[in-house]
Amino acid sequence: MTTAASVSTVPRTSAATTGGPATNRWVGLAFVSPALVLFLVFIGGPFVFAIVLSLYSWDLLTPAEFVGAGNFRTLFSDPLLGKVLTNTFLFAIASVVTHVVGALLLALAVNRAMNRAVSYFVRTAFFFPFLISWSAVALLFKYVLDPTFGLVSHYLGVVGISAPDWFTDPHWALPAIIGIDWWHTIGFTFVIMLAGLQTVPTHLQDAARTDGANAWQVFWHVTVPLMSPTLFFATIITFIGAFQIFDPMQIITQGGPDNATKTIVMYLYEQGFQSFQIGYASAVAVLVFVVIMLVTVVQFLLSRVWVHEQ
Amino acid sequence: MSTRPVLVLDDRATRSRPRRWHSWLLDLVLVLIGVVMVAPLVWLVVTSLTRADAAFQVPPQWLPKPFSAQAYTQVQGLIPFAQMALNSFQVAVAATVGSLFFSVLAAYGFSRFDFRGSKVLFVGMLSSLMVPVQLTIIPVFVMMRHLGLVDDIAALWLPALINVFQIFFLRQYFSSVPRELDEAARMDGANHLWILFRIIVPLSGPALSAMAILSFEASWNNYFAPLVFLNTPSHMTLPLGLVTLQSAQGGPAVVVFAAITMVVVPVLVVFLLFQRAFVSSIAASGLK
Repeated sequence: MTTAASVSTVPRTSAATTGGPATNRWVGLAFVSPALVLFLVFIGGPFVFAIVLSLYSWDLLTPAEFVGAGNFRTLFSDPLLGKVLTNTFLFAIASVVTHVVGALLLALAVNRAMNRAVSYFVRTAFFFPFLISWSAVALLFKYVLDPTFGLVSHYLGVVGISAPDWFTDPHWALPAIIGIDWWHTIGFTFVIMLAGLQTVPTHLQDAARTDGANAWQVFWHVTVPLMSPTLFFATIITFIGAFQIFDPMQIITQGGPDNATKTIVMYLYEQGFQSFQIGYASAVAVLVFVVIMLVTVVQFLLSRVWVHEQ
Repeated sequence: MSTRPVLVLDDRATRSRPRRWHSWLLDLVLVLIGVVMVAPLVWLVVTSLTRADAAFQVPPQWLPKPFSAQAYTQVQGLIPFAQMALNSFQVAVAATVGSLFFSVLAAYGFSRFDFRGSKVLFVGMLSSLMVPVQLTIIPVFVMMRHLGLVDDIAALWLPALINVFQIFFLRQYFSSVPRELDEAARMDGANHLWILFRIIVPLSGPALSAMAILSFEASWNNYFAPLVFLNTPSHMTLPLGLVTLQSAQGGPAVVVFAAITMVVVPVLVVFLLFQRAFVSSIAASGLK
Protein backbone atom coordinates (compact mmCIF):
# COMPACT_ATOMS: atom_id res chain seq x y z
CA MET A 1 0.00 0.00 0.00
CA THR A 2 1.69 3.24 0.95
CA THR A 3 4.52 0.96 1.74
CA ALA A 4 5.00 -0.03 -1.88
CA ALA A 5 5.34 3.60 -2.91
CA SER A 6 8.08 4.41 -0.50
CA VAL A 7 10.30 1.52 -1.54
CA SER A 8 11.65 3.46 -4.46
CA THR A 9 12.53 6.38 -2.24
CA VAL A 10 14.70 4.28 0.04
CA PRO A 11 18.35 5.04 -0.67
CA ARG A 12 20.00 2.19 -2.50
CA THR A 13 21.92 -0.08 -0.27
CA SER A 14 25.53 0.82 -0.87
CA ALA A 15 27.94 -1.90 -1.90
CA ALA A 16 28.37 -4.57 0.69
CA THR A 17 30.65 -3.69 3.53
CA THR A 18 32.04 -7.05 4.35
CA GLY A 19 33.74 -9.85 2.46
CA GLY A 20 33.86 -10.07 -1.32
CA PRO A 21 30.81 -9.57 -3.52
CA ALA A 22 30.42 -13.31 -4.10
CA THR A 23 30.22 -14.23 -0.41
CA ASN A 24 27.92 -11.33 0.33
CA ARG A 25 25.41 -12.48 -2.17
CA TRP A 26 25.08 -15.77 -0.37
CA VAL A 27 25.19 -14.27 3.10
CA GLY A 28 22.39 -11.85 2.24
CA LEU A 29 20.31 -14.65 0.78
CA ALA A 30 21.02 -16.81 3.82
CA PHE A 31 19.58 -14.17 6.15
CA VAL A 32 16.49 -13.73 4.00
CA SER A 33 15.86 -17.40 3.21
CA PRO A 34 14.07 -18.59 6.39
CA ALA A 35 11.48 -15.83 5.94
CA LEU A 36 11.40 -16.54 2.22
CA VAL A 37 10.58 -20.22 2.78
CA LEU A 38 7.79 -19.29 5.22
CA PHE A 39 6.54 -16.70 2.74
CA LEU A 40 6.37 -19.27 -0.06
CA VAL A 41 4.63 -21.85 2.15
CA PHE A 42 2.05 -19.58 3.81
CA ILE A 43 1.51 -16.63 1.43
CA GLY A 44 3.07 -16.91 -2.03
CA GLY A 45 2.22 -20.55 -2.63
CA PRO A 46 -1.34 -20.33 -1.25
CA PHE A 47 -1.92 -17.21 -3.36
CA VAL A 48 -1.12 -19.11 -6.57
CA PHE A 49 -2.92 -22.23 -5.35
CA ALA A 50 -6.09 -20.27 -4.54
CA ILE A 51 -6.19 -18.83 -8.05
CA VAL A 52 -5.82 -22.36 -9.48
CA LEU A 53 -8.50 -23.65 -7.08
CA SER A 54 -10.92 -20.97 -8.28
CA LEU A 55 -10.97 -22.82 -11.63
CA TYR A 56 -11.99 -26.11 -10.01
CA SER A 57 -15.07 -27.52 -8.39
CA TRP A 58 -14.02 -29.24 -5.18
CA ASP A 59 -15.76 -30.26 -1.94
CA LEU A 60 -12.61 -31.64 -0.22
CA LEU A 61 -13.97 -35.21 -0.37
CA THR A 62 -14.43 -36.14 -4.03
CA PRO A 63 -11.67 -35.42 -6.57
CA ALA A 64 -11.50 -31.83 -7.83
CA GLU A 65 -12.99 -31.21 -11.25
CA PHE A 66 -11.76 -28.54 -13.67
CA VAL A 67 -14.58 -26.11 -14.49
CA GLY A 68 -12.66 -23.19 -16.03
CA ALA A 69 -14.54 -19.95 -15.48
CA GLY A 70 -17.57 -21.90 -14.24
CA ASN A 71 -17.28 -20.74 -10.65
CA PHE A 72 -17.10 -17.10 -11.75
CA ARG A 73 -20.09 -17.56 -14.04
CA THR A 74 -22.12 -19.03 -11.16
CA LEU A 75 -20.89 -16.27 -8.86
CA PHE A 76 -21.86 -13.42 -11.16
CA SER A 77 -25.27 -14.93 -11.82
CA ASP A 78 -26.03 -15.34 -8.11
CA PRO A 79 -28.62 -12.66 -7.27
CA LEU A 80 -27.22 -12.57 -3.74
CA LEU A 81 -23.85 -11.27 -4.99
CA GLY A 82 -25.24 -7.83 -5.84
CA LYS A 83 -26.81 -7.52 -2.40
CA VAL A 84 -23.65 -8.68 -0.66
CA LEU A 85 -21.37 -6.34 -2.64
CA THR A 86 -23.72 -3.40 -2.05
CA ASN A 87 -23.67 -4.06 1.70
CA THR A 88 -19.89 -4.35 1.70
CA PHE A 89 -19.28 -1.18 -0.32
CA LEU A 90 -21.83 0.76 1.75
CA PHE A 91 -20.11 -0.36 4.92
CA ALA A 92 -16.63 0.40 3.56
CA ILE A 93 -17.50 3.86 2.22
CA ALA A 94 -19.40 4.85 5.36
CA SER A 95 -16.51 3.54 7.42
CA VAL A 96 -13.89 5.53 5.49
CA VAL A 97 -15.85 8.79 5.63
CA THR A 98 -16.83 8.58 9.30
CA HIS A 99 -13.39 7.42 10.42
CA VAL A 100 -11.29 9.88 8.43
CA VAL A 101 -13.47 12.92 9.08
CA GLY A 102 -14.19 11.98 12.70
CA ALA A 103 -10.59 11.19 13.56
CA LEU A 104 -9.32 14.37 11.87
CA LEU A 105 -11.76 16.52 13.86
CA LEU A 106 -10.93 14.75 17.12
CA ALA A 107 -7.19 15.04 16.48
CA LEU A 108 -7.50 18.75 15.67
CA ALA A 109 -9.53 19.29 18.84
CA VAL A 110 -7.05 17.43 21.02
CA ASN A 111 -3.86 18.84 19.50
CA ARG A 112 -3.59 22.06 21.56
CA ALA A 113 -2.67 23.21 25.02
CA MET A 114 -4.97 21.30 27.37
CA ASN A 115 -5.39 20.43 30.98
CA ARG A 116 -3.28 17.28 31.53
CA ALA A 117 -6.04 15.25 33.16
CA VAL A 118 -8.58 16.16 30.49
CA SER A 119 -6.11 15.34 27.75
CA TYR A 120 -5.23 11.97 29.33
CA PHE A 121 -8.85 10.95 29.83
CA VAL A 122 -9.93 11.96 26.35
CA ARG A 123 -7.05 10.28 24.53
CA THR A 124 -7.43 7.07 26.55
CA ALA A 125 -11.20 6.98 26.05
CA PHE A 126 -10.87 7.40 22.28
CA PHE A 127 -8.08 4.89 21.89
CA PHE A 128 -8.77 2.05 24.29
CA PRO A 129 -11.75 0.37 22.55
CA PHE A 130 -9.45 -0.39 19.62
CA LEU A 131 -7.53 -2.89 21.75
CA ILE A 132 -10.58 -5.01 22.63
CA SER A 133 -11.25 -8.02 20.43
CA TRP A 134 -14.14 -7.83 17.98
CA SER A 135 -15.85 -10.76 19.64
CA ALA A 136 -16.00 -9.01 23.04
CA VAL A 137 -17.18 -5.77 21.39
CA ALA A 138 -19.83 -7.53 19.31
CA LEU A 139 -21.24 -9.47 22.29
CA LEU A 140 -21.30 -6.35 24.45
CA PHE A 141 -23.07 -4.24 21.84
CA LYS A 142 -25.73 -6.85 21.29
CA TYR A 143 -26.83 -5.81 24.78
CA VAL A 144 -25.95 -2.11 24.49
CA LEU A 145 -28.29 -1.86 21.49
CA ASP A 146 -30.98 -4.12 22.93
CA PRO A 147 -34.40 -2.51 22.33
CA THR A 148 -35.73 -3.17 25.85
CA PHE A 149 -32.88 -2.77 28.34
CA GLY A 150 -30.02 -1.45 26.18
CA LEU A 151 -28.26 1.83 26.90
CA VAL A 152 -28.72 3.39 23.47
CA SER A 153 -32.43 2.86 23.17
CA HIS A 154 -33.01 4.06 26.72
CA TYR A 155 -31.03 7.30 26.43
CA LEU A 156 -32.42 8.03 22.96
CA GLY A 157 -35.84 7.63 24.54
CA VAL A 158 -34.87 10.13 27.24
CA VAL A 159 -34.24 12.78 24.60
CA GLY A 160 -37.46 11.88 22.82
CA ILE A 161 -36.22 9.65 20.00
CA SER A 162 -37.84 6.24 19.74
CA ALA A 163 -35.08 3.89 18.69
CA PRO A 164 -35.67 1.09 16.18
CA ASP A 165 -35.05 -2.54 16.99
CA TRP A 166 -31.57 -2.23 15.55
CA PHE A 167 -30.63 -5.77 14.63
CA THR A 168 -33.99 -7.03 13.39
CA ASP A 169 -34.85 -4.00 11.27
CA PRO A 170 -33.33 -4.44 7.78
CA HIS A 171 -32.91 -0.66 7.45
CA TRP A 172 -31.07 -0.23 10.74
CA ALA A 173 -28.94 -3.35 11.12
CA LEU A 174 -26.12 -2.20 8.83
CA PRO A 175 -26.02 1.39 10.16
CA ALA A 176 -25.95 -0.05 13.70
CA ILE A 177 -22.89 -2.14 12.87
CA ILE A 178 -21.26 0.88 11.17
CA GLY A 179 -21.73 2.73 14.46
CA ILE A 180 -20.30 -0.12 16.54
CA ASP A 181 -17.33 -0.33 14.20
CA TRP A 182 -16.74 3.42 14.62
CA TRP A 183 -16.74 3.08 18.39
CA HIS A 184 -14.36 0.13 18.16
CA THR A 185 -11.76 1.38 15.70
CA ILE A 186 -11.84 5.20 15.74
CA GLY A 187 -8.90 5.13 18.17
CA PHE A 188 -6.62 3.69 15.50
CA THR A 189 -7.45 6.41 12.95
CA PHE A 190 -7.32 9.03 15.71
CA VAL A 191 -3.75 8.11 16.65
CA ILE A 192 -2.67 8.02 12.99
CA MET A 193 -4.17 11.50 12.49
CA LEU A 194 -2.61 12.87 15.65
CA ALA A 195 0.80 11.58 14.55
CA GLY A 196 0.29 13.14 11.11
CA LEU A 197 -0.86 16.42 12.61
CA GLN A 198 2.24 16.64 14.74
CA THR A 199 4.45 16.47 11.66
CA VAL A 200 2.85 19.71 10.39
CA PRO A 201 5.25 22.51 11.34
CA THR A 202 3.46 25.05 13.55
CA HIS A 203 5.31 27.99 12.04
CA LEU A 204 3.51 27.57 8.70
CA GLN A 205 0.12 27.85 10.40
CA ASP A 206 1.37 30.82 12.42
CA ALA A 207 2.68 32.49 9.26
CA ALA A 208 -0.70 32.05 7.55
CA ARG A 209 -2.44 33.51 10.59
CA THR A 210 -0.09 36.49 10.60
CA ASP A 211 -0.97 37.06 6.96
CA GLY A 212 -4.61 37.36 7.98
CA ALA A 213 -5.96 33.88 7.23
CA ASN A 214 -8.92 32.83 9.37
CA ALA A 215 -9.16 29.48 11.15
CA TRP A 216 -10.96 27.77 8.26
CA GLN A 217 -8.46 29.05 5.69
CA VAL A 218 -5.52 27.87 7.81
CA PHE A 219 -7.15 24.45 8.15
CA TRP A 220 -8.10 24.06 4.51
CA HIS A 221 -5.08 25.65 2.79
CA VAL A 222 -2.27 24.80 5.20
CA THR A 223 -3.10 21.92 7.53
CA VAL A 224 -4.99 19.65 5.12
CA PRO A 225 -2.43 19.82 2.26
CA LEU A 226 0.41 19.17 4.69
CA MET A 227 -1.50 16.24 6.18
CA SER A 228 -2.52 14.77 2.85
CA PRO A 229 -0.06 11.83 3.02
CA THR A 230 -1.64 10.85 6.36
CA LEU A 231 -5.17 11.31 5.04
CA PHE A 232 -4.26 9.14 2.06
CA PHE A 233 -2.81 6.38 4.24
CA ALA A 234 -5.82 6.46 6.57
CA THR A 235 -8.24 6.26 3.64
CA ILE A 236 -6.56 3.23 2.07
CA ILE A 237 -5.98 1.32 5.29
CA THR A 238 -9.56 1.95 6.48
CA PHE A 239 -11.03 0.88 3.17
CA ILE A 240 -9.01 -2.32 2.99
CA GLY A 241 -9.95 -3.26 6.56
CA ALA A 242 -13.61 -2.33 6.13
CA PHE A 243 -14.00 -4.22 2.87
CA GLN A 244 -13.04 -7.41 4.72
CA ILE A 245 -15.46 -6.84 7.62
CA PHE A 246 -16.79 -10.11 8.99
CA ASP A 247 -16.61 -10.52 12.76
CA PRO A 248 -19.47 -8.28 14.01
CA MET A 249 -21.90 -9.50 11.34
CA GLN A 250 -21.06 -13.13 12.01
CA ILE A 251 -21.45 -12.71 15.78
CA ILE A 252 -24.41 -10.33 16.04
CA THR A 253 -26.69 -10.83 13.04
CA GLN A 254 -25.31 -13.82 11.09
CA GLY A 255 -25.83 -11.66 8.01
CA GLY A 256 -29.51 -11.02 8.71
CA PRO A 257 -32.14 -9.74 8.83
CA ASP A 258 -32.98 -10.67 5.26
CA ASN A 259 -29.27 -10.55 4.27
CA ALA A 260 -29.14 -6.85 5.21
CA THR A 261 -25.75 -7.27 6.88
CA LYS A 262 -24.28 -10.08 4.79
CA THR A 263 -20.86 -9.04 3.50
CA ILE A 264 -18.67 -10.53 0.80
CA VAL A 265 -16.38 -12.21 3.35
CA MET A 266 -19.40 -13.73 5.14
CA TYR A 267 -20.54 -15.09 1.79
CA LEU A 268 -17.04 -16.51 1.26
CA TYR A 269 -17.00 -18.07 4.73
CA GLU A 270 -20.38 -19.74 4.23
CA GLN A 271 -19.42 -21.16 0.85
CA GLY A 272 -15.93 -22.25 1.84
CA PHE A 273 -16.09 -23.33 5.44
CA GLN A 274 -19.74 -24.25 5.96
CA SER A 275 -20.70 -25.74 2.58
CA PHE A 276 -17.07 -26.69 1.78
CA GLN A 277 -17.34 -25.45 -1.80
CA ILE A 278 -13.59 -24.85 -1.80
CA GLY A 279 -13.26 -23.94 -5.49
CA TYR A 280 -16.24 -21.61 -5.43
CA ALA A 281 -15.03 -19.90 -2.22
CA SER A 282 -11.64 -19.40 -3.88
CA ALA A 283 -13.36 -17.64 -6.75
CA VAL A 284 -15.07 -15.32 -4.24
CA ALA A 285 -11.68 -14.70 -2.56
CA VAL A 286 -10.14 -13.82 -5.93
CA LEU A 287 -12.94 -11.30 -6.43
CA VAL A 288 -12.22 -9.74 -3.01
CA PHE A 289 -8.54 -9.50 -3.92
CA VAL A 290 -9.26 -7.89 -7.30
CA VAL A 291 -11.57 -5.28 -5.76
CA ILE A 292 -9.01 -4.38 -3.08
CA MET A 293 -6.24 -4.17 -5.66
CA LEU A 294 -8.29 -2.03 -8.06
CA VAL A 295 -9.41 0.38 -5.36
CA THR A 296 -5.84 0.70 -4.08
CA VAL A 297 -4.47 1.37 -7.56
CA VAL A 298 -7.18 3.95 -8.30
CA GLN A 299 -6.50 5.70 -5.02
CA PHE A 300 -2.80 5.76 -5.83
CA LEU A 301 -3.50 7.36 -9.20
CA LEU A 302 -5.82 9.91 -7.60
CA SER A 303 -3.27 10.59 -4.88
CA ARG A 304 -0.92 12.10 -7.46
CA VAL A 305 -3.47 14.87 -7.84
CA TRP A 306 -4.28 15.60 -4.22
CA VAL A 307 -1.50 14.27 -2.04
CA HIS A 308 1.10 16.89 -1.29
CA GLU A 309 4.57 15.33 -1.09
CA GLN A 310 6.86 17.08 1.29
CA MET B 1 10.88 9.41 4.36
CA SER B 2 10.54 10.10 8.02
CA THR B 3 13.78 10.29 9.88
CA ARG B 4 12.43 8.57 12.92
CA PRO B 5 9.82 5.86 12.44
CA VAL B 6 8.66 5.79 16.04
CA LEU B 7 7.35 8.89 17.66
CA VAL B 8 5.92 9.66 21.03
CA LEU B 9 2.62 11.44 21.26
CA ASP B 10 3.39 14.04 23.84
CA ASP B 11 1.01 16.81 24.71
CA ARG B 12 2.17 19.57 22.55
CA ALA B 13 3.23 22.70 24.37
CA THR B 14 1.58 25.22 22.10
CA ARG B 15 1.66 28.99 22.01
CA SER B 16 1.18 30.58 25.36
CA ARG B 17 -2.03 32.37 24.56
CA PRO B 18 -4.56 32.78 27.37
CA ARG B 19 -7.31 30.17 27.15
CA ARG B 20 -10.50 31.59 25.80
CA TRP B 21 -14.06 30.47 26.46
CA HIS B 22 -14.23 28.36 23.33
CA SER B 23 -11.22 26.38 24.51
CA TRP B 24 -13.23 25.41 27.61
CA LEU B 25 -16.23 24.61 25.49
CA LEU B 26 -14.14 22.33 23.30
CA ASP B 27 -12.81 20.58 26.42
CA LEU B 28 -16.38 20.01 27.54
CA VAL B 29 -17.42 18.57 24.18
CA LEU B 30 -14.40 16.26 24.13
CA VAL B 31 -15.04 15.04 27.67
CA LEU B 32 -18.69 14.36 26.77
CA ILE B 33 -17.62 12.30 23.75
CA GLY B 34 -15.11 10.51 25.97
CA VAL B 35 -17.81 9.70 28.53
CA VAL B 36 -20.06 8.31 25.80
CA MET B 37 -17.16 6.18 24.53
CA VAL B 38 -16.44 4.79 27.99
CA ALA B 39 -20.08 4.32 29.08
CA PRO B 40 -20.61 0.87 27.48
CA LEU B 41 -17.50 -0.44 29.24
CA VAL B 42 -18.56 0.96 32.62
CA TRP B 43 -22.01 -0.56 32.13
CA LEU B 44 -20.33 -3.88 31.26
CA VAL B 45 -18.31 -4.02 34.48
CA VAL B 46 -21.15 -2.74 36.69
CA THR B 47 -23.66 -5.22 35.27
CA SER B 48 -21.24 -8.13 35.61
CA LEU B 49 -20.98 -7.34 39.33
CA THR B 50 -24.73 -7.09 39.90
CA ARG B 51 -26.80 -9.99 41.20
CA ALA B 52 -28.33 -11.84 38.21
CA ASP B 53 -31.98 -11.14 39.08
CA ALA B 54 -31.30 -7.40 39.47
CA ALA B 55 -29.17 -6.90 36.37
CA PHE B 56 -30.33 -5.27 33.12
CA GLN B 57 -32.87 -2.92 34.67
CA VAL B 58 -34.56 -0.02 32.98
CA PRO B 59 -33.36 2.69 33.46
CA PRO B 60 -29.76 1.34 33.33
CA GLN B 61 -27.99 1.07 36.70
CA TRP B 62 -24.56 2.65 37.14
CA LEU B 63 -23.73 1.06 40.48
CA PRO B 64 -23.67 -2.71 41.19
CA LYS B 65 -26.63 -3.03 43.55
CA PRO B 66 -27.03 -5.59 44.99
CA PHE B 67 -23.41 -6.53 44.56
CA SER B 68 -22.56 -10.09 43.55
CA ALA B 69 -19.46 -11.67 42.00
CA GLN B 70 -21.25 -14.95 41.47
CA ALA B 71 -21.35 -14.59 37.70
CA TYR B 72 -17.56 -14.79 37.63
CA THR B 73 -17.59 -18.16 39.34
CA GLN B 74 -20.08 -19.52 36.81
CA VAL B 75 -18.03 -18.80 33.68
CA GLN B 76 -15.61 -21.67 34.16
CA GLY B 77 -18.50 -24.13 34.49
CA LEU B 78 -19.84 -23.21 31.06
CA ILE B 79 -16.64 -22.81 29.03
CA PRO B 80 -13.04 -23.84 29.82
CA PHE B 81 -12.10 -20.19 30.25
CA ALA B 82 -8.67 -20.74 31.82
CA GLN B 83 -7.67 -23.20 29.10
CA MET B 84 -8.87 -20.80 26.41
CA ALA B 85 -6.86 -17.97 27.93
CA LEU B 86 -3.80 -20.22 27.99
CA ASN B 87 -4.36 -21.17 24.34
CA SER B 88 -4.66 -17.51 23.35
CA PHE B 89 -1.49 -16.73 25.24
CA GLN B 90 0.48 -19.57 23.66
CA VAL B 91 -0.58 -18.63 20.14
CA ALA B 92 0.18 -14.95 20.67
CA VAL B 93 3.61 -15.59 22.18
CA ALA B 94 4.59 -18.11 19.49
CA ALA B 95 3.39 -15.80 16.72
CA THR B 96 5.10 -12.73 18.18
CA VAL B 97 8.45 -14.23 19.13
CA GLY B 98 8.65 -16.42 16.04
CA SER B 99 7.70 -13.76 13.51
CA LEU B 100 10.06 -11.21 15.08
CA PHE B 101 12.95 -13.66 14.90
CA PHE B 102 12.45 -14.39 11.19
CA SER B 103 11.70 -10.74 10.41
CA VAL B 104 14.87 -9.53 12.13
CA LEU B 105 16.99 -11.94 10.07
CA ALA B 106 15.27 -11.01 6.81
CA ALA B 107 15.38 -7.29 7.55
CA TYR B 108 19.12 -7.53 8.13
CA GLY B 109 19.53 -9.38 4.83
CA PHE B 110 17.51 -6.78 2.93
CA SER B 111 19.05 -3.73 4.61
CA ARG B 112 22.72 -4.74 4.48
CA PHE B 113 23.11 -6.78 1.27
CA ASP B 114 22.38 -5.94 -2.32
CA PHE B 115 22.36 -9.51 -3.59
CA ARG B 116 21.01 -10.39 -7.02
CA GLY B 117 17.23 -10.49 -7.03
CA SER B 118 16.96 -8.81 -3.62
CA LYS B 119 14.93 -5.90 -5.00
CA VAL B 120 12.50 -8.16 -6.86
CA LEU B 121 12.16 -10.39 -3.84
CA PHE B 122 11.50 -7.47 -1.52
CA VAL B 123 8.93 -5.79 -3.75
CA GLY B 124 7.28 -9.16 -4.40
CA MET B 125 6.87 -9.80 -0.69
CA LEU B 126 5.62 -6.27 -0.11
CA SER B 127 2.93 -6.53 -2.79
CA SER B 128 1.49 -9.46 -0.87
CA LEU B 129 0.26 -6.94 1.72
CA MET B 130 -2.60 -6.36 -0.72
CA VAL B 131 -3.63 -10.03 -0.66
CA PRO B 132 -6.52 -10.53 1.77
CA VAL B 133 -6.11 -13.25 4.37
CA GLN B 134 -9.39 -14.84 3.24
CA LEU B 135 -7.69 -15.75 -0.04
CA THR B 136 -4.64 -17.50 1.40
CA ILE B 137 -6.51 -19.13 4.27
CA ILE B 138 -8.34 -21.48 1.89
CA PRO B 139 -5.19 -23.30 0.64
CA VAL B 140 -3.68 -23.05 4.14
CA PHE B 141 -6.80 -24.81 5.46
CA VAL B 142 -6.34 -27.57 2.89
CA MET B 143 -2.68 -27.83 3.93
CA MET B 144 -3.48 -28.01 7.65
CA ARG B 145 -6.08 -30.66 6.95
CA HIS B 146 -3.40 -32.81 5.27
CA LEU B 147 -1.06 -32.23 8.18
CA GLY B 148 -3.76 -33.18 10.68
CA LEU B 149 -3.56 -29.74 12.30
CA VAL B 150 -7.21 -28.74 12.01
CA ASP B 151 -8.57 -28.13 15.53
CA ASP B 152 -4.99 -27.52 16.72
CA ILE B 153 -3.62 -24.12 17.73
CA ALA B 154 -0.52 -24.83 15.61
CA ALA B 155 -2.74 -24.03 12.61
CA LEU B 156 -2.96 -20.49 14.02
CA TRP B 157 0.64 -19.69 14.94
CA LEU B 158 2.47 -21.49 12.11
CA PRO B 159 1.16 -19.19 9.35
CA ALA B 160 1.74 -16.19 11.66
CA LEU B 161 5.49 -16.84 11.67
CA ILE B 162 5.80 -14.84 8.47
CA ASN B 163 4.89 -11.17 8.79
CA VAL B 164 5.74 -9.11 5.73
CA PHE B 165 4.89 -5.77 7.31
CA GLN B 166 7.39 -6.44 10.09
CA ILE B 167 10.13 -7.22 7.58
CA PHE B 168 9.42 -4.03 5.70
CA PHE B 169 9.25 -1.89 8.83
CA LEU B 170 12.38 -3.33 10.43
CA ARG B 171 14.32 -3.05 7.18
CA GLN B 172 13.55 0.69 7.11
CA TYR B 173 14.62 0.99 10.71
CA PHE B 174 17.82 -1.05 10.31
CA SER B 175 18.77 1.08 7.30
CA SER B 176 18.80 4.11 9.59
CA VAL B 177 21.39 2.47 11.88
CA PRO B 178 24.78 3.87 10.75
CA ARG B 179 26.92 1.41 8.82
CA GLU B 180 30.03 2.76 10.51
CA LEU B 181 28.99 0.73 13.55
CA ASP B 182 28.99 -2.48 11.48
CA GLU B 183 32.39 -1.65 10.06
CA ALA B 184 33.90 -0.85 13.42
CA ALA B 185 32.66 -4.18 14.75
CA ARG B 186 34.07 -6.00 11.73
CA MET B 187 37.46 -4.42 12.39
CA ASP B 188 37.26 -6.08 15.78
CA GLY B 189 36.49 -9.39 14.09
CA ALA B 190 32.73 -9.62 14.65
CA ASN B 191 30.64 -11.80 12.34
CA HIS B 192 27.22 -10.97 10.90
CA LEU B 193 25.17 -12.61 13.63
CA TRP B 194 27.14 -10.71 16.26
CA ILE B 195 26.64 -7.41 14.41
CA LEU B 196 22.93 -8.06 14.04
CA PHE B 197 22.13 -9.25 17.56
CA ARG B 198 24.70 -7.24 19.53
CA ILE B 199 24.64 -3.94 17.65
CA ILE B 200 21.60 -3.46 15.44
CA VAL B 201 18.92 -5.21 17.51
CA PRO B 202 19.82 -3.39 20.77
CA LEU B 203 19.67 -0.09 18.89
CA SER B 204 16.20 -0.90 17.51
CA GLY B 205 14.29 -1.24 20.77
CA PRO B 206 11.40 1.10 19.92
CA ALA B 207 10.85 -0.48 16.50
CA LEU B 208 10.96 -4.01 17.89
CA SER B 209 8.59 -3.26 20.75
CA ALA B 210 6.18 -1.54 18.36
CA MET B 211 6.14 -4.61 16.12
CA ALA B 212 5.82 -6.96 19.11
CA ILE B 213 2.79 -5.07 20.44
CA LEU B 214 1.05 -5.01 17.05
CA SER B 215 1.72 -8.69 16.47
CA PHE B 216 0.62 -9.81 19.92
CA GLU B 217 -2.52 -7.72 19.75
CA ALA B 218 -3.46 -9.00 16.28
CA SER B 219 -3.06 -12.60 17.41
CA TRP B 220 -4.79 -12.13 20.77
CA ASN B 221 -7.87 -10.58 19.14
CA ASN B 222 -8.06 -12.73 16.01
CA TYR B 223 -11.47 -14.27 15.41
CA PHE B 224 -11.58 -15.34 11.75
CA ALA B 225 -8.73 -17.88 11.71
CA PRO B 226 -9.76 -19.58 14.99
CA LEU B 227 -13.32 -19.81 13.65
CA VAL B 228 -12.04 -21.54 10.52
CA PHE B 229 -9.63 -23.93 12.23
CA LEU B 230 -10.92 -24.78 15.72
CA ASN B 231 -13.95 -26.82 16.80
CA THR B 232 -13.37 -28.21 20.28
CA PRO B 233 -13.98 -25.72 23.12
CA SER B 234 -10.83 -26.76 25.02
CA HIS B 235 -8.75 -26.04 21.90
CA MET B 236 -10.26 -22.61 21.28
CA THR B 237 -8.78 -19.18 21.86
CA LEU B 238 -10.64 -16.60 23.95
CA PRO B 239 -12.37 -14.55 21.22
CA LEU B 240 -13.94 -17.70 19.76
CA GLY B 241 -14.64 -19.19 23.19
CA LEU B 242 -16.52 -16.07 24.28
CA VAL B 243 -18.90 -16.44 21.36
CA THR B 244 -19.58 -20.08 22.22
CA LEU B 245 -20.47 -18.99 25.76
CA GLN B 246 -23.23 -16.87 24.35
CA SER B 247 -24.87 -19.93 22.88
CA ALA B 248 -24.05 -22.19 25.85
CA GLN B 249 -27.09 -23.53 27.65
CA GLY B 250 -28.07 -22.13 31.00
CA GLY B 251 -25.78 -19.13 31.00
CA PRO B 252 -27.58 -15.98 32.08
CA ALA B 253 -26.49 -12.72 30.42
CA VAL B 254 -24.56 -11.58 33.51
CA VAL B 255 -22.28 -14.59 33.06
CA VAL B 256 -21.58 -13.48 29.48
CA PHE B 257 -20.83 -10.02 30.88
CA ALA B 258 -18.50 -11.46 33.50
CA ALA B 259 -16.60 -13.36 30.81
CA ILE B 260 -16.34 -10.28 28.57
CA THR B 261 -15.06 -8.30 31.56
CA MET B 262 -12.41 -10.92 32.23
CA VAL B 263 -11.27 -10.51 28.63
CA VAL B 264 -11.33 -6.71 28.60
CA VAL B 265 -9.90 -5.78 32.02
CA PRO B 266 -6.46 -7.44 31.63
CA VAL B 267 -6.08 -5.65 28.29
CA LEU B 268 -6.98 -2.36 29.97
CA VAL B 269 -4.45 -2.91 32.76
CA VAL B 270 -1.64 -3.78 30.34
CA PHE B 271 -2.58 -0.80 28.21
CA LEU B 272 -2.56 1.67 31.10
CA LEU B 273 0.86 0.37 32.17
CA PHE B 274 2.42 0.63 28.71
CA GLN B 275 0.22 3.31 27.18
CA ARG B 276 3.04 5.20 25.56
CA ALA B 277 4.45 2.10 23.85
CA PHE B 278 0.99 1.10 22.57
CA VAL B 279 0.22 4.49 21.09
CA SER B 280 3.67 4.76 19.54
CA SER B 281 3.27 1.37 17.90
CA ILE B 282 0.05 2.46 16.18
CA ALA B 283 1.54 5.81 15.19
CA ALA B 284 4.54 3.95 13.83
CA SER B 285 2.37 1.77 11.62
CA GLY B 286 1.01 4.97 10.09
CA LEU B 287 4.40 6.36 9.20
CA LYS B 288 4.66 3.91 6.31
